[in-house]
Amino acid sequence: MEEKNERRTEAKGGAAGLGPRKVVGTPVRRPERTIAVESYVPEVARGVGITLAHFLRNTKEYVSGQRPDPVLESVGEGINTLSYPEQRRPYPERFRGLHRLTRRADGSPRCVACLCCSTACPAQCIYIEPGEYPVGDGRRGYERFPKRFVIDEVRCVFCGLCVEACPCDAIRMDTGLHAPPYDSRDQFLFEKELLMSFPGRDGSYQTENPRHEPGDPTHPGIDRKRHQ
Amino acid sequence: MNWVEFTLDAAKAVFVVAVLSLGIGGLLTWADRRQGAMIQDRIGPNRAVLWLPKRLAQALALGPALLVAAGMVAVALVSRSLAGEARTERAFVFGHLAVLLVWLTGLSVSRVVAARGVRSSFDAFVAWIGDSRRFFFAGLVAHGLVALPGMTLRGTAVGHHLREFAFGGAPFVFALVAVFGAVYAALAMERADKVGLRIAGLLHPAADGLKTLFKEDFVPPNADRFLHGLAPIVTFFPALVLLAVVPFGDTLCFAPNAAGVLDWASLLEPLASVPAGGTCEVGVRLQVVDLNIGLLYVFALSGTGIVGAALAGWSSDNKYSLLGGLRAASQMVSYEVTLGLTVVGALMIYGTPRFGEMVAWQATHAWGIFTQPLAAILFFTAAIAESKRIPFDLPEGESEIVAGYFTEYSGMKFTMFFFSEYVAVATIGVLMTTVFFGGWHVPFLDRDGFRVAIGESVVAQQALSHVVVVLLGVVAFLGKVILLCMLQLTIRWTLPRLRYDHLMRLGWRLLLPASLVNILLTGLVLLAVEGAGEQILAALAVLVDLSMAALAVGALGAGVALVSYWLRPVRRTRMPRTSAVRLAERLGGTRTARMGA
Repeated sequence: MEEKNERRTEAKGGAAGLGPRKVVGTPVRRPERTIAVESYVPEVARGVGITLAHFLRNTKEYVSGQRPDPVLESVGEGINTLSYPEQRRPYPERFRGLHRLTRRADGSPRCVACLCCSTACPAQCIYIEPGEYPVGDGRRGYERFPKRFVIDEVRCVFCGLCVEACPCDAIRMDTGLHAPPYDSRDQFLFEKELLMSFPGRDGSYQTENPRHEPGDPTHPGIDRKRHQ
Repeated sequence: MNWVEFTLDAAKAVFVVAVLSLGIGGLLTWADRRQGAMIQDRIGPNRAVLWLPKRLAQALALGPALLVAAGMVAVALVSRSLAGEARTERAFVFGHLAVLLVWLTGLSVSRVVAARGVRSSFDAFVAWIGDSRRFFFAGLVAHGLVALPGMTLRGTAVGHHLREFAFGGAPFVFALVAVFGAVYAALAMERADKVGLRIAGLLHPAADGLKTLFKEDFVPPNADRFLHGLAPIVTFFPALVLLAVVPFGDTLCFAPNAAGVLDWASLLEPLASVPAGGTCEVGVRLQVVDLNIGLLYVFALSGTGIVGAALAGWSSDNKYSLLGGLRAASQMVSYEVTLGLTVVGALMIYGTPRFGEMVAWQATHAWGIFTQPLAAILFFTAAIAESKRIPFDLPEGESEIVAGYFTEYSGMKFTMFFFSEYVAVATIGVLMTTVFFGGWHVPFLDRDGFRVAIGESVVAQQALSHVVVVLLGVVAFLGKVILLCMLQLTIRWTLPRLRYDHLMRLGWRLLLPASLVNILLTGLVLLAVEGAGEQILAALAVLVDLSMAALAVGALGAGVALVSYWLRPVRRTRMPRTSAVRLAERLGGTRTARMGA
């Protein structure tokens, strides 16, 4: 108790500026430095040994192709980290990546420009400009097509509601891609052509759901030619 | 000097620049890049690749192998008429070469099969043998079996038959295996349409050099254009010419012709054997020039490196450059003193500044590391400081002065600074090897072959022809230099940078007095040895032999341990099967990246 008080007064005396300021507190005990540490040479040798061991092991596993698969076998000896650009951990199957517009058998988009996705989108990142098929086209009067279909991939929150909302299975997020590191925002405005150029993770541009064109006998809705 | 000598000198100069400067410099650049990749867990230098069409790659695999095989058969046919000791020696060399090639080929095939799977019945056989380390260990045993009869069965009938067996059979085994290995490699390429030549990323330094040649050469507007351009040349030139005085092998002796000088014809017939203590009348020194001031020449030239750094700092019109140049100048001047004083002890012992004679002294007495251990450490430290590399890289301390004296340099000029640093590392390795690690000397290898002896008692003996001995010396020299350079790199990767006052204190208050003490101690020891009796000298000789034996055993053990470590497969247990792991499994795993593949 007495000792504590004494220290306090010491501190006060220092703060008052009378004489050099005294240091308060118990002195920290320094770790003892042996001659080996002082002379620096054995410690350097130890450090060099550690570096060399790491270098040897790392180089061995890379150069001789012994590097284990960091995803499939990752417990135990060997390097455990993924080296990113060269090795990638595959995303889970239901990972929502960049959007794609699925295609019909003839290569045109499945999208019928119903605006369900842009309506459902909470981030309002989808812009669709619908267009009518020209007179004489078999699809005219049944459905429209997107003249422009733009998704702002920076604004997108990757919630997947557009995919849920789509009645035609025309928009999907199964590309397995994530947004590339562009350097300006307008580069993230993905147009229809770009969105149609992404394949799904199975490599196909279409979907397994069959598409029934107007005029097909399997067409489920009202076929005006048949029902006239 | 005649045309023969001139041609030989030119060839030696090209060898020194190509192998000791550019080769080792490239190797060190690769190692530094590999280390950087290790820290960031990248694959590192493997992007540079030379795509060869399939047929060309197959020809490159087959052609040299066929040539080597044919050469081996030719040598065997030419030396058919040899008799006596020469025949035994030739059989010994043939046997070892054949064994070496067999286990190397087996090892490579086994690694290839393990990596890409079994494709043929031969692959299945190799896979059945299993772990590729077995090839290595079997090869070691076979080497021992080849070496053993030469020591124990000499002069007996069995020994004679074994010798004839090795003499006749080994060259053909060698040729067959060489051709087989090449054909196997060529067949393995058959499935690809092009073959990438990467050499484990060793092409990368060359690509870097090419790249910087085409980069912009920026000169600051107010810089002194002339001095700015001169500085990298002044730095690079001494680094290149410095190695001219260092011997990279023993003198190669030739049979003298009638006039007693070297001519083209005598180059074809090197002496079969040179006696242990013997010298030759007509020889080619494996050294560009044999200056009588050897070591002093090295110090004089390495001193001009200061001028380059100071010029670069001064001419750049940049305060950081100027500070870096000043730091470089003061640091290098300080450590030059220590550098010069540490080798005084070695000079006192060897009694000559000529490198060739230094190595000869170490070969007949003891390596410098045993006679001058303190000086070796001091020299190494001072030399690293002299080369301005971590932990002494104050002149280019990034945290304080950007990049120091070469802040304002770009393109090839920057590369010249950069590369002269690597050449400086190689130079330090070469000097350490020559002054302290016996140069081209291999323990227990005399001029006429191996003679393992402790004191007077001979343990084992094997005569070798002159050319083989000299070649072994060159290989040993390069190996020592590369090891010492790797040590320097590892020190660079390990230690943090010193503070400037610590650097100066270390130089002037620790290394300098220690080197003076070393001179004093050396003098005392020299006096003591001079006054010592016969018995003490004999005991010292035994001590030297024992240390050499320990060194040889240690080096061999380390080599074997390193190779078997390199071949050891990595064993891992599997991870819990999450959905991501299942997906990765379906996609064939994530291990797509492989260096050199």
